[in-house]
Amino acid sequence: MNQSRRYVNWLLLFIPVATFLFALFLGRYGIRVFDTVRVLLGLDGPTDVFRALILRVRLPRVLAAACVGANLAVVGASFQGLFRNPLVDSRILGVSSGAAFGAALALLLTSQGMLIQASAFAFAMVAIGLVMLVGMRFGSSTLVLVIGGILVGALFNSLLGLIKYVADPLSTLPAITYWLLGSLNATQWSDLPPLLSITGLGLSFFMLLRWRLNLLTVSDTEAMAMGIRVRLLRTILVSVGTLMVAASVALAGTIGWIGLVVPHVARAWVGPDHGRLIPASAALGATTLILLDTVARTVLPSEIPLGVLTGLIGVPAFFLLFLRFLRARGEAR
Amino acid sequence: MNRIWITLVLACCLTLPGSAQSEITVTDQAGYTVTLKQPIEIITSVHGIATYYIYTLGGGDRLDTAYYIGVKTLSSASDSMLRWEPRLPELLAYGDPNIEEIVASGSELVLADGAQHEAIAEQLRELGIPVVLYRAETPSEMKEAIALTGTLLGPSAEDRAASFIADYERLVNTVSSDLSTLDEQARARVLFIGTSLTKAISGEMYQSSLIAAAGGICVTDVLFGSWNEVNLEQILLWNPQIIIIPPYGMIQPADILENPDWQVLDAVQSGRVYRMPRLIAPMDTPVPESLLGIAWMAKTFYPERVSLDLAQEIERFYTAYYGFELTDEEIGILSSP
Repeated sequence: MNQSRRYVNWLLLFIPVATFLFALFLGRYGIRVFDTVRVLLGLDGPTDVFRALILRVRLPRVLAAACVGANLAVVGASFQGLFRNPLVDSRILGVSSGAAFGAALALLLTSQGMLIQASAFAFAMVAIGLVMLVGMRFGSSTLVLVIGGILVGALFNSLLGLIKYVADPLSTLPAITYWLLGSLNATQWSDLPPLLSITGLGLSFFMLLRWRLNLLTVSDTEAMAMGIRVRLLRTILVSVGTLMVAASVALAGTIGWIGLVVPHVARAWVGPDHGRLIPASAALGATTLILLDTVARTVLPSEIPLGVLTGLIGVPAFFLLFLRFLRARGEAR
Repeated sequence: MNRIWITLVLACCLTLPGSAQSEITVTDQAGYTVTLKQPIEIITSVHGIATYYIYTLGGGDRLDTAYYIGVKTLSSASDSMLRWEPRLPELLAYGDPNIEEIVASGSELVLADGAQHEAIAEQLRELGIPVVLYRAETPSEMKEAIALTGTLLGPSAEDRAASFIADYERLVNTVSSDLSTLDEQARARVLFIGTSLTKAISGEMYQSSLIAAAGGICVTDVLFGSWNEVNLEQILLWNPQIIIIPPYGMIQPADILENPDWQVLDAVQSGRVYRMPRLIAPMDTPVPESLLGIAWMAKTFYPERVSLDLAQEIERFYTAYYGFELTDEEIGILSSP
């Protein structure tokens, strides 16, 4: 491993860890850095209020932001390779639409956060199940999966529209609208075990298979000639990616742009090789969402929806990347 | 020429006295001038709040179709509501108004929401059906809306509107006078949340005016717009002494009182987390019953200082304006914090 690669690897580890700690120091309630450190180290001194805020409010939320950001970015990066399409992100298979419908349906019936998350997760699985059925029936080529994803996404979007139409405008509709814009405000420690375990397993899985992802970026025929069982591998990757997205969306709502833009930024930094792209996407995804969530919870007395912030940052970032691409091709000055 | 003038004068003599009695012109809260015949016998209300103005002024029997705030289906209507309006099954409507349905009903007046029904109102006007648009988001706009509705319904309703406005002012003045010696530091800091644990009202919402009228300080007055998502850290910074939950949505006081993350708040430590009661309309919205919302809040914030007899005010409102006799149990529900 050459010097610069080692340097980049350390940087990929350092950036999210530093951002994580930095985020714990910030919040609407002014807590001195010194007190925050004492709380984190379990030392006496800080008040119960400080302890509750840092350990019960900030810590689970920052941890969730890191997991969700890493998940969306890694799945985005791998799906862009898998579907050989740079404009793809984790929403391509209708999973987010299924989760959104599940969450809205639960919000119509209950206010229990766990049930809302469970319903979002369950319907995300139903959505991918339907796409897989289409795939089984017509062959799991990328085209069939993408068409299946578009159809399933459209179906769940229509059902979501129906739920919004019948929802009580005083109570349920604002809750659904807010959920759809994405937020980590409701995160509690009890939400984290499923997210942490799925994120841990999913990231490990993609890290282990990151070299094989390179083989799927060529045509199916070429990949098969190299001894890869393309359809099986693709189905497994899609299933694991879907689990990671479903767990993220169930907790945080639908958050756009992370899965699309972060992989491109990572690619611009470490290159297209999935061996380096996957860890870089995970690190940058986690960092980005921690930073945006810190802005969302600290800048104003009311929360800023994450989907609004990711859009505001994602659009210009994507435009700059596109401009860079055009310049590289000599099509723009 | 002379014959023409004589004909015109005769026509005026014949029509003017009649038209003065049979037509009125009003300006609605969206600024539209509406001319309509009198008396109005068939009314459609597609605005859940305006429906209660009609009932308050004794015009409930003229409703042909009505929206009721927070009630979409009969199953979501309380027993008290069904007893209050036995015609609810035939009147109740919900969703986007259907223009052909309104035309078919023979409605002579449509009451609509200025914030969302401008386009439908335009279509109805083109079809010759008068539409009155309401925009009542503050107590003074609510009183204006009541006075406007009184004009629409005729002289006896106008008297009733004047009586309601006088009652509203009497109650607000009583609370204000009872709390006049209370200095700013001693006023209750109130957080009004609803629909979810972290969804709070803004300073522009009607509920904020109610809290102020009841002598409290709405801690979320710095917020703008509609319901705002806030985080627990910010709520802790406000550290309210009292938390109020609206009578709709699925949040209960126990969700807050038993939540370990909320235990550091003053309101939770003193157990002062309340859900507003509801019988007919939610008392935190700009409906006439919000008068009772102020009384309920004032008694809840300052039970020792406020001299109002809440049970008596509740009974008086329902009898005088809804013509509805409450049971002791219903009075108990509405008057308990």
